Amino acid sequence: MNPSFSRRRVLQLGALTASLPAIGSVLAACGGGGGNSSGAVKFSGWDYESALVQGNVDRFVQLNPDVPVEYTPITSAQYVQKTVAEFTAGGGPDALYVYDDSLAGWVAAEYLQPLDGLPGVDEVYAGIYPSNAEAMTVDGKRYGLPYYTDSQCLIYNEAILAKAGISAPPTTLDELEQQSQRIKDAGILEFPIGLTAQLQDTWWAWVWGLVFASGGDMFDAAGNAVMDGADPTARDVFAWLHRAATVSRVIDPAVLQLLPVPLDDAMKNERYAFTVGARYALRDYNDPSRSKTAGNLKIAYIPSLDGNVVGTVSNTRMYALSKDSEVQDKAFRLLTYLGGFTDGQPYTAKYWFQKKGLGFPFRALEQDPEVQTTLATFADPTIYSGLASLARPRTAIKQAWYSEYENEQQKTVQQLLSNQTSPDDAVKALSATVTSLKQKYS
Amino acid sequence: MTLTAPDIEKPRTETAHRPRRGMGDTARAYLLNAPAMIVIGLLVAYPIGYSFWLSLHRYNLKLPALERFVWFQNYISLIGDPAFLSSLRVTVAFVVVVLVLTVVLGTALALVLNETFLGRGVLRSLVLLPWAMPGVVNGLMWRTIFDAKTGALNGLLLQLGLIDSYQAWLTSPTGAFFITAFAQVWNTLPFTVIILLAGLSTIPSEQYDAAKVDRAGVVQRFTQVTLPWLLHPLLIVLILETMNAFRAFDTIYVLTGGGPGDATNVIAVLNVRTVLTYTDFGLGSAYSWVITIVTLVISIGYISTLYQRGRIEV
Repeated sequence: MNPSFSRRRVLQLGALTASLPAIGSVLAACGGGGGNSSGAVKFSGWDYESALVQGNVDRFVQLNPDVPVEYTPITSAQYVQKTVAEFTAGGGPDALYVYDDSLAGWVAAEYLQPLDGLPGVDEVYAGIYPSNAEAMTVDGKRYGLPYYTDSQCLIYNEAILAKAGISAPPTTLDELEQQSQRIKDAGILEFPIGLTAQLQDTWWAWVWGLVFASGGDMFDAAGNAVMDGADPTARDVFAWLHRAATVSRVIDPAVLQLLPVPLDDAMKNERYAFTVGARYALRDYNDPSRSKTAGNLKIAYIPSLDGNVVGTVSNTRMYALSKDSEVQDKAFRLLTYLGGFTDGQPYTAKYWFQKKGLGFPFRALEQDPEVQTTLATFADPTIYSGLASLARPRTAIKQAWYSEYENEQQKTVQQLLSNQTSPDDAVKALSATVTSLKQKYS
Repeated sequence: MTLTAPDIEKPRTETAHRPRRGMGDTARAYLLNAPAMIVIGLLVAYPIGYSFWLSLHRYNLKLPALERFVWFQNYISLIGDPAFLSSLRVTVAFVVVVLVLTVVLGTALALVLNETFLGRGVLRSLVLLPWAMPGVVNGLMWRTIFDAKTGALNGLLLQLGLIDSYQAWLTSPTGAFFITAFAQVWNTLPFTVIILLAGLSTIPSEQYDAAKVDRAGVVQRFTQVTLPWLLHPLLIVLILETMNAFRAFDTIYVLTGGGPGDATNVIAVLNVRTVLTYTDFGLGSAYSWVITIVTLVISIGYISTLYQRGRIEV
């Protein structure tokens, strides 16, 4: 074949060259840089019960036919990463779920817009627990409407305790260890305590719960690390964890691999006598259709170092509005339906409680007869409410570097549980991490 | 029809003598390759260049007001960065273990599969299987096998009476490290076997016959005949597997998430976490370039060592 150029070939190449800008546009669109041409509200969240979420969103669309919604559930293990990638590429959602521990960072990154001044926001904030309002506020501005809240508690299997001759749950960490030892010695369970301690964000609130329950903290009010000096509580709690995992071995070594769903399954199959987790887990644990030991799993305050009931930690998950949303009004209507009041009622919060037992941030629901009836089927209402009143958010959660600190804390606790470090070294390492992060972010 | 050498050469001679009409061969070659070069530029060179540009910036999405060009400050900061130094130590150990296991097991398997025996074809196909498995699936598979509560390995060992109760294999730092290295080796070993098998097939059988005549034993035949012929393919294996091990991410992330503690927190895991979880694109890009530079230096080291021994043509 003659290798010389034909006129047709040159024209074809010319056309290809001319089309490059169009190819560029296509690539940009693939990268998510395209705008919202459909007018629908792009709504994304982690994939907890996505079918129920879709059902609730469908109800909203039925009530508001002029607000189409495109709901995208994202696997929870990748939610933060994927959402950050979407915002970075310029094609983030209009409305979205936000973890309380991501909020400050996402506000600093300018992904979200404050809701102050929008209709109904003041009423929502007046109706929720102060700890939830605090968790959704950054630098005095309100960024979220509440999805759900929950407090950490001790969950114990009453039947297993009874088998070991124990009549009441522990109130101190030493008692927790002794009761576990008794269960172990009786040959009932090799490892009576189960926790979720795999490296993963959002499921490690139990560490904070143990420290708060003993009246201590990792940080002071100004966000300075106190765990290695002014406040010995964290070190003492770490010492207990270290002992329980490596000396008395009442904490299952497998917890370093354990994710929430396998832990739930283990609790429902009487593989553990104790865990520290969210209150709403009790709904599932005591559901006879899903649990082998339904009715035996009880709620209690988290044991403390000295036996006094002092506190616990709360999580707040929220709905937020993207800063660059092109359908802001519609997106806010969706937000109000999901995280605010509909006809004077916090419809969605109650919906979640009734369906899955998720903790509600609205104080008014405590008096709701339907809620009370449902609550009584799976938990002691007095302890349930008592935990809510004691709960507070993690102290350093408002710092932009919080997610990095949390990851270091998780690694450090893993090192404690696997005997790679001592309690003293652990608190020193965490304190050094805080100093280094403050430098990095200054 | 069989072409003779002059037949093949003929068109080239004609082309050489054809009068030039405006565009030379070089220009034409550039023009013809231009679309591919543009696409490569858009899809490969631009992101790579951009990541280097980012690595010269303080660019954390949580600190938009503090974004600025900082020259090589991100790279300099790595010298005193405990997270980076710790992950570098873990990565180097990981690479060494993976390389040793890969080369030893790969050579042994290739030697076995190079022999003629019944079922060799089936065995060769089976050996290839792990290579077809994506890293994430590989990680999930080994996590299931080594699971402390429901793992198949625990079940097997218990049935055989080798353990008294289920063991949490992935929760000790040493266990987790070697299991992740093993999972990585399992995933990439077939590639090594293919390369070495190809190398083995090029060895003339006369060489072995001559060695046998000289009364060389098995070990001597391996060291004096097989190994010298395998140096070239081994170089390819070393370069590619070093790169693979340095960049290993998906299998480790799924299997241990970098834990327990920092035991398997290789640089690629730290890199992804820094960029996507901490949104620190400047520092994360610097991590990426360190991986690239280290891999490049090691590859040059391999090539120059073998080049000096006269075993490779450059």
